[in-house]
Amino acid sequence: MTAPRFSVRAVLRRLAMLSIRGHEAPFVLRDLDDALQHDLDSGIPTRRAHWRYATNVVGSAMAMWRARGLRVYLPISRLDVKTGVRMLVKHPSLSLVAAATLTLGIPTGLAPFHVFNALEAPLPVEDGDQIRLLRYWNTATSGTDRTTMYDYDRWRGAMTSFQTLGAFRTGAFNVLVEGERVAPSSGAEATASAFEILRTRPLLGRTLQPADEDVDAPAVVVIGHTFWQSRLAGDPDVLQRTLQIGDRAHRIVGVMPDSFRFPVQHQLWLPLRENPAQEPRHGRALNIFGRLAAGTDATTAEAELLAIDGPMATQFPEAHARLRAEVTPFALLAFGLAKSGMRGQPDFYVAQLLTLVLLSVACANVGMLMFARNSNRATELAIRTALGAARSRIVGQMFVESLVLAVLAAGFGLLLIDQALSPLMHRLADGQLPYWVDLSVTPWTASWAFALAVFSAAGVGVVPALKLTGQGIRANIERSRSQRTGTRYGGVSGVLIVADVALAVAIVGFALTMADVVKNIAGTDDVAGIPVDQYLSAQLAIPGIEAATGAGSSDSGALAARMGATQIALVDRLNAEGGIRGVGVATALPRMDHAARWIEIEGDATEGEPVAYRVRSANVDIGFFEALEQPVLAGRGFQAGDLGDNSHVVIVNTPFVENVLGGINPIGRRLRHRQGPDGKPGPWHEVVGLVDNLGMTLVRPFSGEGIYHPLAPGDANPVRLAIHVGDDPLAFAPRLRAILHEVDPLAVIATPMALDQVVEGDWYVMQAVSLGSGVLVAVLLVLAASGVYAILSFSVTERSAELALRSAIGAQRRDIAFTVAKRAMGQFAVGIALGLPLALLLANSAPDEGGPAAQSPVLLTLFTAIGVVVLVGIPACLAPTLRALRIAPHEALKNSG
Amino acid sequence: MSYLGEFEQLILFAVVELGDNAYGGAIRQCIEERTGRTASSGAIYTALGRLADRGMVNARVGATTAGQVGRPRKYYRLEPTGARALQETYSTIQAMAGGLLAQLDKLAQER
Repeated sequence: MTAPRFSVRAVLRRLAMLSIRGHEAPFVLRDLDDALQHDLDSGIPTRRAHWRYATNVVGSAMAMWRARGLRVYLPISRLDVKTGVRMLVKHPSLSLVAAATLTLGIPTGLAPFHVFNALEAPLPVEDGDQIRLLRYWNTATSGTDRTTMYDYDRWRGAMTSFQTLGAFRTGAFNVLVEGERVAPSSGAEATASAFEILRTRPLLGRTLQPADEDVDAPAVVVIGHTFWQSRLAGDPDVLQRTLQIGDRAHRIVGVMPDSFRFPVQHQLWLPLRENPAQEPRHGRALNIFGRLAAGTDATTAEAELLAIDGPMATQFPEAHARLRAEVTPFALLAFGLAKSGMRGQPDFYVAQLLTLVLLSVACANVGMLMFARNSNRATELAIRTALGAARSRIVGQMFVESLVLAVLAAGFGLLLIDQALSPLMHRLADGQLPYWVDLSVTPWTASWAFALAVFSAAGVGVVPALKLTGQGIRANIERSRSQRTGTRYGGVSGVLIVADVALAVAIVGFALTMADVVKNIAGTDDVAGIPVDQYLSAQLAIPGIEAATGAGSSDSGALAARMGATQIALVDRLNAEGGIRGVGVATALPRMDHAARWIEIEGDATEGEPVAYRVRSANVDIGFFEALEQPVLAGRGFQAGDLGDNSHVVIVNTPFVENVLGGINPIGRRLRHRQGPDGKPGPWHEVVGLVDNLGMTLVRPFSGEGIYHPLAPGDANPVRLAIHVGDDPLAFAPRLRAILHEVDPLAVIATPMALDQVVEGDWYVMQAVSLGSGVLVAVLLVLAASGVYAILSFSVTERSAELALRSAIGAQRRDIAFTVAKRAMGQFAVGIALGLPLALLLANSAPDEGGPAAQSPVLLTLFTAIGVVVLVGIPACLAPTLRALRIAPHEALKNSG
Repeated sequence: MSYLGEFEQLILFAVVELGDNAYGGAIRQCIEERTGRTASSGAIYTALGRLADRGMVNARVGATTAGQVGRPRKYYRLEPTGARALQETYSTIQAMAGGLLAQLDKLAQER
């Protein structure tokens, strides 16, 4: 299934296709497209052209309906709407509770749809939905695989489904502005054709041109608006300036507008200078994308790509057997998902289903409120019925009254999404959301919100109305005389409140446990006694060597050699620096999520089949454990002789020994990776040492069974540095940059931070889940409160005569209050009793095994949960109970007849 | 005589002007450019459909050529019946309006 396109034009076009029917429809649709194109070609602003298109669509649909003798029947009169508004004003507290419930419920129902659409939106450029990514999908690893200059040259020469193809590679560059310190900036090396595909005009100057890609051409750079404003103070003569990028001066030839941050959140664009590759799967990785040719769709393009790529599997079976060429939406670049995107993930449907269930619960609660409100209208209903109003008319009116409420709530909900969701997501993503992600409300979201409002109004208005009007004329008149509905809340309402309370207790417990886990991650630094607040963590990388040196080489060996030399020189300089107690180099540091790999242990097999274990792994340099002040507990540490290609040794950690080897001595045992880069098992590695658990995942630091491989200088790019600085490690970051600039001006230091501040990977998921469950708790609490409020309000109205009689014969105020609230209290008690086991279950499923988080007193968490629910329940009971206490006996008895 | 409404007259005049290139979008654009009035594409097509039923215009679907993209267009040509009806309607209006325009202007100026 192709994901729908969510540009305004696509929405309008879909609306046109849905609404314009009949045998003339194809011609009308063609004319609508022509008219829009004509407007756009004649220079009318896009927004105005879309508006004209929309009015044309609506006008056409209505004209064609009229021609077919159809009339639009809307069961809404202005009077119904007016009555709806009046009813809201007449019962302000009830309206407030109902509106608040739906204001939370409707955006909750909307959120998955809205967020996933925003994440997968097309690039915000002209006809952005025509821009597609061309990539390899590895069927063995179920992940993306790299494409190189070889693929780019081949595909560009053969494909006709694309107007043109472009390529780019991202990285961080050391940029020196005159009079300032060197600082890294994110950028992309891109082909000139990339700008042709993106169809975005520069604000100043020009974009990259094919001549810039020549290795002998002068070094040039195009900069982004943010970079221009922040680093160059918006200098109007910016095109006369140069930037020192790496070790070379680059002339600024253009400034792109603020809306352009291609490909993700980038601010520098350098020409991609790379010689044509002679072999497949060699050279540095780059991304390939293109704009579909007119009249071609992605399916046709992919069929062509597969046909072109087909012979590769035969010619290069080793490298290409598991690779499948694909044409995907550009947005997948940022997420590495399968071609079906977010909608191909079961999580999407689970999230959507859960939120809709939640909305249904909200509707049921508000439905009870509406029922309570309308139960006072027995006289009105009786008169209207006696005057001949059909049941459908009365039900229709109540639907419209509910629709007024639901639309109002949907409006507030959309406002909430528009104003609150975007800052929240950006905060969660730490400012790294792709530039095409716009979380403001789109026409699609608004339409979906309206559909949910109608759905809510049907549940909230029609069901209670059917129940109220289902007793015939005589009953209506009888009720109007007694001022009572004669209807009782059935078991459904009771079950609903019990369910609300039970869920709220369960989710409160879960949310508190999650919050506890997130909070306690700081405590995980005690894992191996590493004083993480004394270490500076930073990433060292050498990006874009071709662009900066003009070498025009795609030889990754040259880059590795330079990286190795830089790493050695930097570590030497740092060790010679006063106050530095040690420097460790690794692919991942403690507190980070280390890569997970499947391994096999020699001699460990069940029924002839080797047993596979999933463990964490990292490559570390020889001095790593010493720099972290970690002793080798058994065997030996890494030595210079371990760094060669023919040496296969590993060091394991204590959880590995306990959980994988069952506590036996690991030294001398052999293990291997189940699947190497070529899909076959890797070579056997001998375990030569044992170290303590240094923490190989952030969220589950105590369960990280892991292995360490030796890392030779230049083997990895980028690498992570752990520099033992002492107090205030971040203060050393400028000095680190200065030293590195002297060592190698091309190398970049990124994300310097104290090691105890490092958060990544699952941390964001945990935070999102924690936050999401917090919102869920709020929604459920409001639901439970509104349900209780509704049932008590209704009960007090129904029982006013009985309460008055009790009061008249001398019942105490305390007794009356108890009589009113006892049912709600009972339902709360049942809800709490049912919610507790659920809370325990959820609390145990939180990822806190073995760590300090697990030590959190579960009982305290649960009592807090109950306390929160009771605190919310009391005010909900209070208002109706006070109303019951204010009933004047003589008035109530007079009214009851 | 066949009665033609005002909108139908506008459409038929546009068909006359456009000749062989009279399709819905062009007719709509022609009316908009000459009179400043906008009409929806659907309204144009339903009116053309009525006129075709009455034998005043003849419709043909444009051929799809190799390089063409998208849906086909439907082209209209004025039939003699339509031409006569338009002529008569316009003459009737002219005859009726003869000598009255000055008075009409005067009335229109009154508050």
